[in-house]
Amino acid sequence: MKSIRPLIQFIFILTLAIGMSACGTKVSRIDVTEVRDLSGNWNDTDSRLVSEEMITDVLSRAWLPTYKAKQNKLPVVIVGEIRNLSHEHINLSTFIRDMERALVNSGQVEFVASSNERGDIRTERKNQDMHSREDTRKAMGQEIGADFMLKGTINTIIDQEGKTAIKFYQVDLDLISMTDNRKVWIGQKKIKKVVKKKALRF
Amino acid sequence: MKLLLIYICKAQIKLVLYTFKLFSALFILSFLVACTSYSTNFSVIEQHIKQQHPELALQALEKQPDSKLNKLLYLLNKASLQRMNQNFQASNASFEQAKRLIDKLYGISVRDQVGSFALNDTTKVYRGDDHEQVLIHLYSALNYLALSQLDDARVEALQVDLKLTDLASRKPANNPSVYVEDAFSRYVTGMIYEELKEWSDALIAYRKSYEAYKKYAETFNTSIPTFLKRDLLRLLDKQGIKDEFEHYKATFKLNGWLSAKELSNYGELIFLLHNGLSPIKRESTITTASPSLKRLISIALPTYERRMAGSKSARISIAEQESKTQLVENIEAIAIKSLESQMPAITARALARAVLKYQMAKKVEQEQGGLLSVIVNVANMVTERADTRSWLTLPENIQLARIAVKPGIYDVKIEILNASNRVMDSFLVKDISIKRGKKTYLEKYWLNPQS
Repeated sequence: MKSIRPLIQFIFILTLAIGMSACGTKVSRIDVTEVRDLSGNWNDTDSRLVSEEMITDVLSRAWLPTYKAKQNKLPVVIVGEIRNLSHEHINLSTFIRDMERALVNSGQVEFVASSNERGDIRTERKNQDMHSREDTRKAMGQEIGADFMLKGTINTIIDQEGKTAIKFYQVDLDLISMTDNRKVWIGQKKIKKVVKKKALRF
Repeated sequence: MKLLLIYICKAQIKLVLYTFKLFSALFILSFLVACTSYSTNFSVIEQHIKQQHPELALQALEKQPDSKLNKLLYLLNKASLQRMNQNFQASNASFEQAKRLIDKLYGISVRDQVGSFALNDTTKVYRGDDHEQVLIHLYSALNYLALSQLDDARVEALQVDLKLTDLASRKPANNPSVYVEDAFSRYVTGMIYEELKEWSDALIAYRKSYEAYKKYAETFNTSIPTFLKRDLLRLLDKQGIKDEFEHYKATFKLNGWLSAKELSNYGELIFLLHNGLSPIKRESTITTASPSLKRLISIALPTYERRMAGSKSARISIAEQESKTQLVENIEAIAIKSLESQMPAITARALARAVLKYQMAKKVEQEQGGLLSVIVNVANMVTERADTRSWLTLPENIQLARIAVKPGIYDVKIEILNASNRVMDSFLVKDISIKRGKKTYLEKYWLNPQS
């Protein structure tokens, strides 16, 4: 019977502690390169690692000087479908955007709008045809055809047992020549993480 | 020194008593307010769903008091109502929030354990039954299919596989009545892979679905759907797995199935009927003898009560073809079995709690007597409540029809049938487009307005 009192005390203190811990929102700003893993799912750090790896790789490989020497112009690239075959709903557009930006800014590769992006532009051009002054009007049929298409997949292998899961991500990007389907560059980045869940919560 | 010690002791006793009083008062205050059980609060929402007004049900749901403990239920009901409203994107956003919450609630919570031991099971944070957690992925996949986002539906297919693998590793394999495999989720997974032309994955999913339906037939009153048999034969034939193909051909004795090559000239209409409403948990108080106290005590336990029965089946007509839906997921039976398997643990907890509460009341009566003792007794009675929480916007069962149709645009007639095949209700859905080699998903929620 005596054992009830400490229990009641414990419950009371616990209730109090829980009640007090739940007040106020705290915000602190952090650097975009700081690594913070919360759930173990795909996050900004993974996206950044992939884009860094891919950008340095695609700019340093032989396909670029070969093409420039042969054709005497900059290669034009279009972003095709990047398929998400992983276990998570991953936003792939972030590192694709990073790559586009780095490649365009390097001045060695040109990009044309992808199939999802160009719809708007075509509508606007059609609109200009009807409503704009002649000297500012942009003619149709002047788009540049791409020389290469960037395609890719993201795959995962997950092995889990109880609280622990091993997550393995593999991002593959291919640059495929539009004229003859040759793959001129293949980029790959692998990421592996161990995620341990807590067995006890308070 | 001695004096000081005595003084401290006295102060401590005072503190304990004060805590005790405060705690009792808190008990009563908080639980008189939240006295009605979760399931009784749901009737307004249920009425709106019955009258085919999911948007009003959604508004009613938003008006319900915000509860940290029932956050998951709020999200699940919201997601269900959003998809009844054809708002698939918003529904998926709610499901994603629900998934993240379940992830966060992994592990044993000290607070929940203390609460459920001292007060009742409703003080626990709701984490969802196993079948509810699996159905999140199923419905989310169906949302993505409705949005024609096949790759995203595939993500859900992979997640459901992870969830079921995890479930199987945690549950004892020797008890066949325990839900560890979800036949219908596997089947939808198979359809997703098949549409993506990932034949071997599709075959594996159909095989797993078939194995699970064999168990469903024994435990959940669901027989193996005919279309699954056709799908198995078609894919085994396509993959050239001769022995298994011959074996199933002899077992099923089915005629008139299309080979993969023949089917590639057709599109498919996949019709899903979300029929009725899943059962609801009610509280029942039972009086039982406690061996440790040698007296009678009463405890509150949850029991499932069937809600309005839906229809028996539905008949689909498209392009002069007719097909009747078949039962693919008996959510009612799964829920009832699931509660049955949890009952020993729930009862044991309730008994332990009753003993603790009785002893506490006795102690107060001996030491304090009078008013405080009455208060504690009332508090004990009031706080003895059963956990009646469950995902209430789930249907009673899911039925499916799968029809191969030549590509084109068609009107689809849906007739809801009762047990004697009489038409109870009918709908015409116009301009359903069927594309070659693709699947068109059509869903219908149906509740009997008379029930």
